[in-house]
Amino acid sequence: MVPRFRDLYGSRALHLMATIASFAFIGLVLVQVFDGLSPWNFVLWLVAASIAHDLVAFPLYTLTDRLARRATRTHRLPLPPVPAINYLRVPAIVSGLLFAVWFPLILGLSENAYMAASGRGTEGFLPRWLAITAALFAISALLYALRLSRARSAEGES
Amino acid sequence: MRFPQPPEVGPFRREAWRSPVRGPWLTSVLGSSLLPLIVICAVTGFLSHLAYDPELGENSSIGAGSGLDLKLFLWPTTPVWLYAVVQGLHVGSGLVAIPILLAKLWSVIPKLWERPAVRSAAHALERISLALLVGGALFVFATGVLNIQVWRPWSFAFVPAHYYAAFIFLGALALHLAVKLPVVRNTFRREGVVAPLRESREATRPEPADAGLTAPTSPGPTTVSRRGLLGAVGAGSAALGLMAAGQSIGGPLRPLALLAPRGGEYGDGPNDFPINRTAEAAGIGRDRIGPGWRLRLAGGRERALSRDELLAMPQTQARLPIACVEGWSTTQEWQGVPLRDLARLAGAGQEEDVFVESLQRGGAFSSVVLAGNQVSNPDSLLALRVNGADLSLDHGFPARIIVPAAPGVHCTKWVDRMTFGQV
Repeated sequence: MVPRFRDLYGSRALHLMATIASFAFIGLVLVQVFDGLSPWNFVLWLVAASIAHDLVAFPLYTLTDRLARRATRTHRLPLPPVPAINYLRVPAIVSGLLFAVWFPLILGLSENAYMAASGRGTEGFLPRWLAITAALFAISALLYALRLSRARSAEGES
Repeated sequence: MRFPQPPEVGPFRREAWRSPVRGPWLTSVLGSSLLPLIVICAVTGFLSHLAYDPELGENSSIGAGSGLDLKLFLWPTTPVWLYAVVQGLHVGSGLVAIPILLAKLWSVIPKLWERPAVRSAAHALERISLALLVGGALFVFATGVLNIQVWRPWSFAFVPAHYYAAFIFLGALALHLAVKLPVVRNTFRREGVVAPLRESREATRPEPADAGLTAPTSPGPTTVSRRGLLGAVGAGSAALGLMAAGQSIGGPLRPLALLAPRGGEYGDGPNDFPINRTAEAAGIGRDRIGPGWRLRLAGGRERALSRDELLAMPQTQARLPIACVEGWSTTQEWQGVPLRDLARLAGAGQEEDVFVESLQRGGAFSSVVLAGNQVSNPDSLLALRVNGADLSLDHGFPARIIVPAAPGVHCTKWVDRMTFGQV
């Protein structure tokens, strides 16, 4: 019996056509890149960006979350009526995202270039990020305390 | 055909991925939210490329001889806020997309570790395409975000690299959409589009393990509902969106953009608004802009005009935004001489292109070619004053260009010479 296309390739012929079209277009772009644009630095960034996300940032934040979950899990009874974990996660996610996006300004990595471009220094960014972080965690703590006391008083009534 | 397989340990074990909310529905929702933002970001990015009128002189930042340096039409001068909106949307949609992109990568990470690593030729090609998709996406987002903070730890030129990487990303995304749209449709048919959002944390059930590779086979305890997770992602997007909106819309919103490169507080003076290069950084010494400064005009004939002579000419006032490719803009009241009056003085027609040179030596935008449609617009000025005061040194004293709807870097500061026609 003649093997069908699907058995040889692993998908429909349409998949192969679309794939070739996509790869050929990307090849066309890469030809431009290698035509005079520090190509190896470009390729390095293309690869390093994925490695930095998949093998560095992802394990780091999942591990942090696992530690936080372990720390907020309690074996004492009675269990707290409201789990604390998401009151840690939300401010941490927002603050962490702001840092992940604005870290060059927060850490002053581009001090000279930023001064030349804007006429201002970067010294204000770290205090402002810290103030935002403080406000986020303070609001979260307040909301958690409210939820906790409401749940406790509801428990007391029942 | 048999391919060597990774050992079934650590993250290569499917049961190691235990989040009960991970699965095709979450990925579909995140992907569907991401798509319109990416379309806006890509379209505005490409429009920004066209806004530089790359067909004129050395205007293109992409580089000569490039097959992708597309030149479609001359950039218009109306509406005046066109470039401010284009670039505000480009940087804003990109920033808002970041939390969604990261959440989407979180939702599909088990696929990175899938076993068998290669099932077939089609599967191998798809994984290569996904590597290009993720690498291209992270490349454009990372370089864009770092560039607006003027931190450039790379040796390539930013504009062509960002431009080419975007095409790589979009080329891989087109294939990804073709392959995954049926999956999204089936997932929404099975689970509903919004039904899973109604589930509280206690009521949250994992998707069936056979729904897709990302659904958990041995789910852990549920610590967050799907709507809770999406809410946290949305909060991150809102925070970044506020930063982008503040430095783009300005006014009372600018002080709220606490971490944006041109957010925060500026003073109340006529010259207290953002810039993209200081006079000091541009090497503009006071000796070159003193009483001896002359605007040199060339076209049919040559002229040299002092600042007082320019001020003695009929002045036009125009309220125009200056908008930076980096996503910030600010609208000010400019006063100066219309470019078409200067064209007439130089003996050129009002529809002629003009080559503008700054006193700034070197730098990518120390000179520019403005198109005839820009010269002839009555609000295109050689500005001498702003908000009723002389331009400050950082804003381009003695004279700067301001053209409606043009990119900020085309509004040349510290103008030295303008050559009309035969550009």
